[in-house]
Amino acid sequence: MSDTRSRLRSWWQQLAAIMIKEAKQVIRDPSSWIIAVVLPLTFLFLFGYGISLDTTVVKVAIVSEDGGRDGRDFAAALSSSRWFLVVPAVDRLAGERLLQDQAVKAVVIIPAQFSRLLDAQDTTAQVQVLVDGAEPNTANYVHGYVSAIWSAFLAARGRQQGAAPPTPVNIEARYWYNANAISRWFLIPGSMTVIMTLLGTLLTSLVIAREYERGTLEALYATPLTRGQILIGKTLPYFLLAMISMAVCVATALLLFQLPLRGSLLTLGLVSAVFLVPALGQGLLISVTMKSQMAAAQLGLMTGYLPAMMLSGFLFDIHSMPGWLRAITLVVPARYMNVSLQTVFLAGDVWSVLLPNMLFMLMVGALFFGLTWRRLHKRLD
Amino acid sequence: MLQRLLAIIRKELITMLRDPRARLSLVIPPIIQLFIFSSAATMEVKNIALGVVDLDRGPYAADVEQRLNGSPSFTQLPRYASLAAARGALEREDVIGILVLPSGFSADLTARRQASAQLLLDGRRSNAAQITAQYVSAIVQTEGGDLTGAPASTPRPAAAAAMPNADVVIDNWFNPNLDYKWFMLPNLVGTLSLGVALMITALSVARERELGTFDQTLVSPATPLEIALGKLLPPLLVAVVQATLYLLIVTLLYGVPFRGNLLVFYAAVLSFAAACAGVGLFISSLVHTQQQAFLGAFAVLLPFALLSGFATPVENMPWWLQMVTAINPLAHMLRLMQGLFLKGASLAALAHDLVKLMEIAACTLGASVLLFYRKAG
Repeated sequence: MSDTRSRLRSWWQQLAAIMIKEAKQVIRDPSSWIIAVVLPLTFLFLFGYGISLDTTVVKVAIVSEDGGRDGRDFAAALSSSRWFLVVPAVDRLAGERLLQDQAVKAVVIIPAQFSRLLDAQDTTAQVQVLVDGAEPNTANYVHGYVSAIWSAFLAARGRQQGAAPPTPVNIEARYWYNANAISRWFLIPGSMTVIMTLLGTLLTSLVIAREYERGTLEALYATPLTRGQILIGKTLPYFLLAMISMAVCVATALLLFQLPLRGSLLTLGLVSAVFLVPALGQGLLISVTMKSQMAAAQLGLMTGYLPAMMLSGFLFDIHSMPGWLRAITLVVPARYMNVSLQTVFLAGDVWSVLLPNMLFMLMVGALFFGLTWRRLHKRLD
Repeated sequence: MLQRLLAIIRKELITMLRDPRARLSLVIPPIIQLFIFSSAATMEVKNIALGVVDLDRGPYAADVEQRLNGSPSFTQLPRYASLAAARGALEREDVIGILVLPSGFSADLTARRQASAQLLLDGRRSNAAQITAQYVSAIVQTEGGDLTGAPASTPRPAAAAAMPNADVVIDNWFNPNLDYKWFMLPNLVGTLSLGVALMITALSVARERELGTFDQTLVSPATPLEIALGKLLPPLLVAVVQATLYLLIVTLLYGVPFRGNLLVFYAAVLSFAAACAGVGLFISSLVHTQQQAFLGAFAVLLPFALLSGFATPVENMPWWLQMVTAINPLAHMLRLMQGLFLKGASLAALAHDLVKLMEIAACTLGASVLLFYRKAG
């Protein structure tokens, strides 16, 4: 009985020893503090201001070949719209040149005779819109804006002439959790996931590879430490570092970007801690697989950071991806973190969303840690 | 001088390419990324799941559902008895929105009054939700016109008849089908080569420092300038090889047009890689370990990528960030790639960005060699 107890105690002492060693290494390195505080702040700042899907003001050239009243009215409707910044163009050719030189996003051409054709019953008046389609998301917004202004123009014109409302069905769209459909509100939780992946996966991916490279891993193997102790000891300081920067991120999001937090702080902390299990596990797995820091860094970038950017639903909706790609996203921990963070921030503590996602994160984490465990042999090759 | 420089370049290339795994890692991962990310990076909204709450149960409500069913964008249209039942599905992200057709919807349309419908959307995915809203309103707004499968005697609402004969003809230039891949692939060509050029140089000196071989290089007859150039040139070579590979894949496999000048393309790739390698060497001179170098590279890479128009347009940023993009080499590179691939922009239009890129390259290379000189000398 006392034997097991003393063995347990020495197990703890050994674990504490390696944790202190790792923690000291982290704390002494000034770059750790930069990583924990400065980097997340800078990144969140950049994400918050630099990434936005809300097309604010689009530069548009108007070519008006029609001198009639309706032509002028429609041009005025475009100019007074808050979506458009109108750049005058003398003729079609000038407008097209502006489009080609990337000076405007669209050219609206009101053709000659437009007003006359609009009044006539048997002819069709056409407004031509040339849109820069190179960036489809903005192009879609431009389509939407022009159509909305066009409908409003026709409706106003119809009202003057006493006609019935032109649109028989009126749709009231309402956005839950984000009433003004501000893209920043869903992009900032996603940015936090990217930052956490950066800390959790990329930094740890170098941890064991560094010891391989410097030859200190053999010294570590010569100690009485077990594999489990090495793994825990190596991970925990980075876990704490990541949690600190998460706190910094949350404070910034709430204070600077005015993000609502509809769930509780406790849930937020729990979700973050759970996410770090697969994130750190992935980093460690990379670290024991690749024996040089250079290779580990590249693999970490490719399998950790880039998927967190591209395959997590942060910017690009997972539902719209092809099936084979959706299957790949199932092993991207960031995907579950994204949904969870968006829910905690915008919707609240919705356990029916959070529990399954946390379960998946733990499962992916167990997979990564299990593989690391198998690969970390205490022997010299 | 040239002989010594060549010897150093040869040595750097050998270190980089000696290991077969390292050789493969310069070619295979970027290609995989090109494939995966061009498929992932789409803002088109597909496979939409939209909940429908039909409180009307009339012919027009059934018609709306039928029309949504017929649209290829909507793959799932689960029906819910009440809004309360649908709410849970929205909360769990089973559906992106709920279309509520209130009672009296058909009655209003039959009586030629304006009917209204509610669309509740998940603001957690506000961009996809906004595009879904556009789709739904495009489909539903024409409702009340012709009723598919309705009895022939159903009168057409007067509203449609009173509309003047007028429409807006939209013509998408450069990318007629608004294919997101056409936008993303040229961008990836620029962004992927950024990562490679920057990482290789940033880590190279740091690794030699860590292994202690850097001092050996310094006591060799090579001058610091030669050593610095030896570190800078191999990444340029890698960037050119990779860019050629991307160019072939993007145009031949994906069918993205290349409407520009090949010479301008390679000039852009070279100046861009030089600018990035300069930044990498600069970082390398400042740090002591590879981990620090890696972080330093990353701390530069991410802002470059974010503030370039790669993911979201530069025009959406606040003005002071738009000013910052002027010194971001990737922002110029992406404009060049868009101009070369899709827009077939004239040399004069491209020259502006190309010159900017060369200026940035001259600055970063100059600064990095200077710093390297001071550290090594």
